[in-house]
Amino acid sequence: MRNKMPEVRDQKSAMGTPDLSVELAGIKLKNPVLTASGTFGYGEEYAEFVDLNKLGGVIVKGISLKPLSGNPPPRIWETPSGMLNAIGLENPGIDVFLRDKLPFLRQFDTKVIVNIFGYTVEEYAALAERLDDVEGIAGLEVNISCPNVKAGGMVFGTDPATTHELLTAVRSRTKLPIFAKLSPNVTDVTAFARVARDAGCDGLSLINTLLGMAIDVRTGRPRLANCTGGLSGPAIRPVAVRMVWQTAKCVPLPIIGMGGIMTAEDAMEFIIAGAAAVAVGTANFLNPRATLDVLSGIEDILVLRGAAGLSDLRGTVNTT
Amino acid sequence: MRLNRQHAAEIISHSFIGRGYYRLVLRAPDAARSALPGQFVMLRVSEYLDPFLARPLGISSLPSKSTVELVYRVAGRGTSLLTQMEPGSSLAMLGPLGRGFPAPEKGATPVLVAGGSGFPPLHFFASRLRRSGRPFPLLIGARDRAGLPPQPVLSSFRKFGARIAVATEDGSAGVKCMVTTILDDYLAKCGPAASPVLYACGPRAMLAVVSRVARDRSLPCFVSMEERMACGVGACMGCSVRSGTGGFKRTCTEGPVFEAGELDWSS
Repeated sequence: MRNKMPEVRDQKSAMGTPDLSVELAGIKLKNPVLTASGTFGYGEEYAEFVDLNKLGGVIVKGISLKPLSGNPPPRIWETPSGMLNAIGLENPGIDVFLRDKLPFLRQFDTKVIVNIFGYTVEEYAALAERLDDVEGIAGLEVNISCPNVKAGGMVFGTDPATTHELLTAVRSRTKLPIFAKLSPNVTDVTAFARVARDAGCDGLSLINTLLGMAIDVRTGRPRLANCTGGLSGPAIRPVAVRMVWQTAKCVPLPIIGMGGIMTAEDAMEFIIAGAAAVAVGTANFLNPRATLDVLSGIEDILVLRGAAGLSDLRGTVNTT
Repeated sequence: MRLNRQHAAEIISHSFIGRGYYRLVLRAPDAARSALPGQFVMLRVSEYLDPFLARPLGISSLPSKSTVELVYRVAGRGTSLLTQMEPGSSLAMLGPLGRGFPAPEKGATPVLVAGGSGFPPLHFFASRLRRSGRPFPLLIGARDRAGLPPQPVLSSFRKFGARIAVATEDGSAGVKCMVTTILDDYLAKCGPAASPVLYACGPRAMLAVVSRVARDRSLPCFVSMEERMACGVGACMGCSVRSGTGGFKRTCTEGPVFEAGELDWSS
């Protein structure tokens, strides 16, 4: 099973089936469906349910230079059509990732995009350099938008000058395509998209979680030990679609659209809004096969719309 | 090949069994074939997106070769909605998941301690102890009589060989004390020669005391943790509990059954 991608795509094309392949900042994806960082572990957690060969790519859980143990529990709280999380970027660190996690993913014919984060500009840059020549890595997603760690993440991604400095530093240390994962917790996301472009990023990931909070009314305590957390799930999808649409209109970088995608129809909203690819996130928690369900549904929608490929529908919001 | 763990599980029966509890029997042959006591499933209570997440529920027994039994208490909107699901319909279910209870070694005396609604995994475990033919103690703690496991579950435990002792905080059933007090008394009486091994499931505060009792007496102790979960398969890191050696352990994959000494009970 492994290492083999059946050549059904060609046969299907011959039969008039739509072309699902996508070129994303030079990365050739067999289809536009990726997994959102932090919701699919390092692939292994879901390999029992999903043939990873069928995915366009896997964006792995965020990796830092040193292992991180994360935030104290409780870390999650269910909300209407969504959830809050404050995991705190728990991860085994770059060394363990390269030694134990990446070799597993390398067995599959799918693109691996590594999500990186740090506490200083230099940490981000050092990670980029470490991963630059590693076999089996197609690109980097630079997390400048996690709302759950104090120094890392969102602090960078909500200040244009720091965002520029950080992304420029990462750019200078790697030849890999880099995607800036932008924070939705800003007034104008397009300003940060421009900063990312100016710093030499090859693409954008939109969006990370929205900063949120829930309180236990009986005790007055926050539901999360971290007090605040990132809101994900279909509750945030309209915000994400709007931000992808706004950004795609004015910044010529390919966008990985994400935020509450549960179904193929949800995914197609992002494509029509202008995303080149999509990432399925929180949906994996509810349905381990969500990525594959989205994928087969996208094909159906393209057929329904009479589209030869995704590019026929990409960025075609009809505002007339 | 590994058995499938993602199911559209048909409801075979679903009934109220008293004291706020429901008994749900689901058809899931692959799950029934492989489930071990202490393991759990993630059950979606409806096909809609609100409530959003699946609920982690400990497996309470395997009524047949193709079915899984879950006993749950209505605790919120999710479980409340679940009560309305009728036989014939199907629920999305993932499982069996996690690490279960290790079987007691030969000659050991399993001592079961259940608090609040934490009895279902112990019920499954007890069903396996029946095979040994030896009676075993089951110590149950609750706030009051209404907080005890429902009668059909208690009868079933007895059938498996459980000798039940009850402690309630208000004294409305059994002895008026904490369950850990009757545990201490029991252990003092049976002595170390019986090689007691503790198996506990219930509120964290109770498990912390049970763990301390076990540590003080140098007894093996296995606890089943109940944490909020999102994925159930080790990806989201939402159900982490503090490890005794620093850092965290995921309840879904490294638990839900832990050896008590693996965890940090201080906070």
